[in-house]
Amino acid sequence: MSDPETGGCVSCGMPMRSDADHALGDRSKDFCAHCSNGDGTMMRYEEVLTRMAEFLQTAQGLDEQVAHDAAKDMLAKMPAWQQR
Amino acid sequence: MSAHSSGTREIGKQRTRRRILAKATRLCARNGFSRTRTLEVARAARVSHGSVFVHFRSRDELLSAVVSEMTREITDALHAQVASGASLTHTLAAHLECLAEREQSIRWLLLEIPLLPRGVHAPWLAFQSATSFHIGQAAERDMAAGSIEEMPLHLLFNTWIGLVNHYVINRELFAPNKSALRVHGPVLLEHFSNLISAPASMARRRKGTA
Repeated sequence: MSDPETGGCVSCGMPMRSDADHALGDRSKDFCAHCSNGDGTMMRYEEVLTRMAEFLQTAQGLDEQVAHDAAKDMLAKMPAWQQR
Repeated sequence: MSAHSSGTREIGKQRTRRRILAKATRLCARNGFSRTRTLEVARAARVSHGSVFVHFRSRDELLSAVVSEMTREITDALHAQVASGASLTHTLAAHLECLAEREQSIRWLLLEIPLLPRGVHAPWLAFQSATSFHIGQAAERDMAAGSIEEMPLHLLFNTWIGLVNHYVINRELFAPNKSALRVHGPVLLEHFSNLISAPASMARRRKGTA
């Protein structure tokens, strides 16, 4: 299972094609391994936001505030967080 | 209303939405995002102007959907091409291939993104994020294996993307009326790989200290 519109993680949007892409390697999970806690539950919004902002800084060198705002904009489009 | 007619109507609605999106994508690739008007999209899709707004609340939302769809296709293709354990060179080659297939649209986005509505920025950044994720994963593996230099991931990514984007933006200087990435991609990849490969840079350092 995954986001029916995009086929990606409902939390961060990452494409999920192989078992390993899904949380706990379980295809019934609609979120990815990166958005999963160790027990297979989905991370809280604040954790995903922080991790995504940190990732944007590490991977692209974005300014801290820009990275935070960009991560917030991106998550706002994700099915898991649209109601926030 | 029967469930059947409701289902048929929904399928028709989805089909119309896809047609509008496909025509908008084509027009954006041809004329640029900032010059694409909803009236033109409606004409191309053979729907009324109002129908466009039944499926997309505003022009901004339509443009955002075009960018989301296009960048998602590239991300999916990159994800599919980059098997687990792929080297950085293989990942970058896959990146070039994915971009080359949609080079014209990417070029417009690079030129126009600061002028486009904020709603378009999120899918564009998400795309850059996904690209940097795949490149970063491959780079970390190669760094751990000692086949490329240790360096901050963002500098590696920005150096690569800066090189590629420069050729895409200035395509008319490097490959008039052709795909800059099809013409120059292999050389760019070879050059970048040489720059970051560990043995070559170590050799350069040794030469410098000799």
